[in-house]
Amino acid sequence: MTATTALQAEKVTPRHRVRRISDKTIQTAFILPTMVLLILWNIFPLFYSLYLSFTEYSVISGAPPRWVGFENYRNVLSDPLIWKYFALTGRFALLSVGLQTIIGFAMAMIVRAKFRGSGFITTLILIPMMLSPVVVGKFWAMIYNPTFGPLNYLLGMPPPRGPDWLANPEFALWSVVLVDVWMWSPFVMLLCLSGLKAIPEYLYEAAAIDRASAWFQFWRITLPQVAPLLMIAILFRTIEAFKQFDVVMGLTGGGPGDATELIAVKLYRIAFLGRFDTGIASAFAYIVLIIIIAISNLYIRYLNRLRGEA
Amino acid sequence: MSKKLHLLVVFALLIGLVGAFAQPATAQQPVKELTILWAEWDPAVYLAELMKDYEKEAGVKVTVKQEPWGSFLDVVSKEWAAKGTAFDLVVGDSQWLGQAATQGHYVELTDFLKETGLADSVTAATLTYYAEYPTGSGRYWAFPTEGDANGWAYRKDLFEDPDEKAAFKEKYGYELDVPKTWAQLMDIAKFFTRPEENLYGVAIYTQKDYDAITMGVQNVMFSYGADWKDANNNVLGVVNSPEAIAAVEFYRELWTCCAPPGSSNIFFPEVNNYFISGQIAMGMNYFAFFPALANPATNPYADVTGYFAMPAGPTGLRFAALGGQGMSINAYLPPERIEAAKELIKWFGREDVQMKWALLGGYTCNKKVLASPEFLEVAPYNAAFAETMEMVKDFWNVPVYADLLEVAQRELHAYIVGGEGDAKTCMDKIAQEHDKILRAAGLIKEPAKSE
Amino acid sequence: MAKFEEVGPHAPITESIRVDLVHPRARLGVTIRAVVAVVIVAIMLFPVIWLALTMVKTRPDAVAVPPKFIPYFPEGLLSDWCMVPQLNKDGTPKLGKDGQPVLKERDVCFDVTLEGIVGLFFERRTLTPAQQKQYMESPEFGWADRILLRRGLVITGPSEFVDRFRNSLIIAGTSTVLAVTFGLLAAYAFSRFDIQGKPDFLFFILSTRMLPPVVVTIPIFLMYRQLGIYDTHIGMILLYTVFNLSLSVWLLKGFLDEIPKEYEEAALVDGYSRMQAFRKVVLPQAATGIAATTVFCLIFAWNEYAFSLMLTSDVARTMPPSIASTQGAGGIEWAIIATASMLFLIPVVVITFALRQHLLRGVTFGAIRQ
Repeated sequence: MTATTALQAEKVTPRHRVRRISDKTIQTAFILPTMVLLILWNIFPLFYSLYLSFTEYSVISGAPPRWVGFENYRNVLSDPLIWKYFALTGRFALLSVGLQTIIGFAMAMIVRAKFRGSGFITTLILIPMMLSPVVVGKFWAMIYNPTFGPLNYLLGMPPPRGPDWLANPEFALWSVVLVDVWMWSPFVMLLCLSGLKAIPEYLYEAAAIDRASAWFQFWRITLPQVAPLLMIAILFRTIEAFKQFDVVMGLTGGGPGDATELIAVKLYRIAFLGRFDTGIASAFAYIVLIIIIAISNLYIRYLNRLRGEA
Repeated sequence: MSKKLHLLVVFALLIGLVGAFAQPATAQQPVKELTILWAEWDPAVYLAELMKDYEKEAGVKVTVKQEPWGSFLDVVSKEWAAKGTAFDLVVGDSQWLGQAATQGHYVELTDFLKETGLADSVTAATLTYYAEYPTGSGRYWAFPTEGDANGWAYRKDLFEDPDEKAAFKEKYGYELDVPKTWAQLMDIAKFFTRPEENLYGVAIYTQKDYDAITMGVQNVMFSYGADWKDANNNVLGVVNSPEAIAAVEFYRELWTCCAPPGSSNIFFPEVNNYFISGQIAMGMNYFAFFPALANPATNPYADVTGYFAMPAGPTGLRFAALGGQGMSINAYLPPERIEAAKELIKWFGREDVQMKWALLGGYTCNKKVLASPEFLEVAPYNAAFAETMEMVKDFWNVPVYADLLEVAQRELHAYIVGGEGDAKTCMDKIAQEHDKILRAAGLIKEPAKSE
Repeated sequence: MAKFEEVGPHAPITESIRVDLVHPRARLGVTIRAVVAVVIVAIMLFPVIWLALTMVKTRPDAVAVPPKFIPYFPEGLLSDWCMVPQLNKDGTPKLGKDGQPVLKERDVCFDVTLEGIVGLFFERRTLTPAQQKQYMESPEFGWADRILLRRGLVITGPSEFVDRFRNSLIIAGTSTVLAVTFGLLAAYAFSRFDIQGKPDFLFFILSTRMLPPVVVTIPIFLMYRQLGIYDTHIGMILLYTVFNLSLSVWLLKGFLDEIPKEYEEAALVDGYSRMQAFRKVVLPQAATGIAATTVFCLIFAWNEYAFSLMLTSDVARTMPPSIASTQGAGGIEWAIIATASMLFLIPVVVITFALRQHLLRGVTFGAIRQ
């Protein structure tokens, strides 16, 4: 035996005393807790509400569910108001996730450079998303208030000049979007920042030597490197946008009229608030679920393309 | 380790965890404590204070659990769904009666209230609205606990200012005083609306969430002679009657001309906020929220705040939208707890206890206490309250009330705040949708008339 | 330079050696970025500052018109600036009976009160004016009582704030640790192994976050009652773990995918076992991802509202359902809500600051990924 093998043997032996666990076992052991928890916790609610979506049932009535087939689905889908709320939610998701992406990315680009206190400042920017959504809704309603709220004063429009943001059907949705963007842009920023920091300097160096334009650097180096994490951020924000509830409830309650009646708010109105139409609410929720699944699939396909996976 | 073994281990762990924390079944014991669930507000605090006496007298410790208004119904309904016993008694909204009675969540109290004489101790209106379902049936499900209705608070310093009085008289030709009619209220509201001074005529309910704007509007509607239904539960031609349309137009005009900016989605706390910040001359609110206005520490204008009952409509009719709650017993309790709960209600309904309840700040429904001089004098708003309780009227309390409410909320808010369409379209829509809902629920039996 | 020799899993290159970045123009660029960053922070934090100001306002001050921006202490800080002489109509200062000018508060000023802070920790009851006067004269009340007595309130007992805060710490803290641990393991497996039906597994994991909570709260509530874990800490911990797993798995997989497999493979060739490679090579590299995921999971569990409302009542209820609800006598107690929110913010902020180094370091070896 040569010296090299002896050296290798010495290096390996202590570790070899432990029985090696096979990759297959590790794989199973690593995935199992997650899958078991998710299945245990989701299987009953999921199937129970799927079943209820085909019945006429009110959870508080005490009467057993009555099978009605697809009637709930027909009712929901034939209600023109529901379509209006879907369109509204789509608009909300598009505006708020779009703005969050742009602003979050821009903020990440600004704070990526190291300067004195940059870490501190970056952490401060994260604070809005740490607040409780219920409080955010309530306090922003106060901030928006045209008389005792500070916003219009800071914008130089003291009463009676400033707009009544939440009462105006034109502005109401934008006002909700603004709060959502304020709260969640930091989420996008942090994930972008992780991506940005991962870009090795030498790529930029190479680009600098090639005298590539800043634009080229952005499109060809920065964006592709950030894209996978950015897509995950967008994916989760989109899902959350379809579930947006607490903040809207605190700000407008879905008003004025139904100008900000997002589907999650409508769903709450059907499932609770004295109506307790559990059957219809379940059918409605499944329709929402299918739509979210469809949208997520599009994202994931794109995400996988970015990653070069199938 | 094999895959199956892993699965088993995890399952065993989970089941162990779950089992370890499971609650053991409780054995039957004499009832030594009771829980009352109510919304989170002052009257519940007063009730908790009052219940300390019950512990002294009967040796039963009573906990008053408070749940925020926003989630009160959610929490109650989850107990109903589970046929749960998290509370023994609930002080529930008058609108819930239909659901709770027909679906069996409340213990029927008809015989109990009659035998104990409690049914006769409270005013007729409160018994009808807080206890009876179906209306007119003589079946009771609750003991009227907290009487409440809409009234007005106003700024006496503005109303009694000689300069203002003179200016008002010159402009409108009559004395500036507490409004007797809705038309006068509109004049006064317009008179005091001065955006450059940051003063506005009124703050009125506009919140969309649950029932606020409908409650506000129906004050006017009822006084205009309109209603949500006729004697046969018909709604077409009733909800969209000319009177109802005029009333809704009035409400919109009042809000557009004279409400402060930002009051597009407001309910009781916000109305009080506007009053406290000195921005409004008159504020509509439930009487239960006036104590805050009478308190100089919360309201800088407390000394100059007066109160009045709802003004009259064009034909002299006067009505006030009802709030308030009755105390009901959870039907899922074991018999001995139901008995204990009944004992508690019996004690609570006693006249001396009711007097104490009123003096603490609760709004009693007891006839004698309401008429007593002590009650009328204990708080500046009590006289207006006693007057109001003679003319209360409520929204539907049938099991489908929430469906009806949702339609009314949406359409009224869209027209009054959002300015969409006109009052006729708005009320036509409500009437048609109400008709549909009531027919589906079997509450309108006769065939639809072709219009 | 030592840096180059040490390149490996533990020593990322963090400083640039590029000449063009130390050029004055580049330096100026950094300064401009710093200024812009400070402006962004100011805008982002304004609502939070407003919350902080509201903490120490009385109820009338909280809704005063125009809004009040400057706190002052009577006879103390800023009171000189905030109290200005009242003027007569002719512009001369109005004099009081003692010949001193009469002072009044500027519109933008408010004096600091602790009633919101005291109010948060105690249950209160409104007094009638007569009772208030009587109580004020009684010597048996301490300073906290007196602050509220001035508001016409009497303390009736401690509030549930401390209990609920503790519940939040236990439930959100434990569930975050669990969600990140399980999530990390699963993410590693999904990132490194060829698992049959991987996309479907991943999609299932993601889909558990899609159903609006409104519909699942009641089924879960019924399930929890059957299992006897309704209103228990363990029930809430497991629920929040489940709730966060999808985010945790997806996010961590995103981060782990950025770490090139080559390093572990090298370590495996070197004789490391898979577990050792995971612990010694992957974990240090994944620090950023773990930190970010921890922060996000914590934030979601910390602020979750709907499940806490429906699945707890006394024992295990967390803060969020009660924060916004501290409605006092016929109105919103802005100061109490603000105080509760700000205190409730502290743990998350502290943890985020503690994890700051990891959070902002970035994934290190992204470039080798194809």
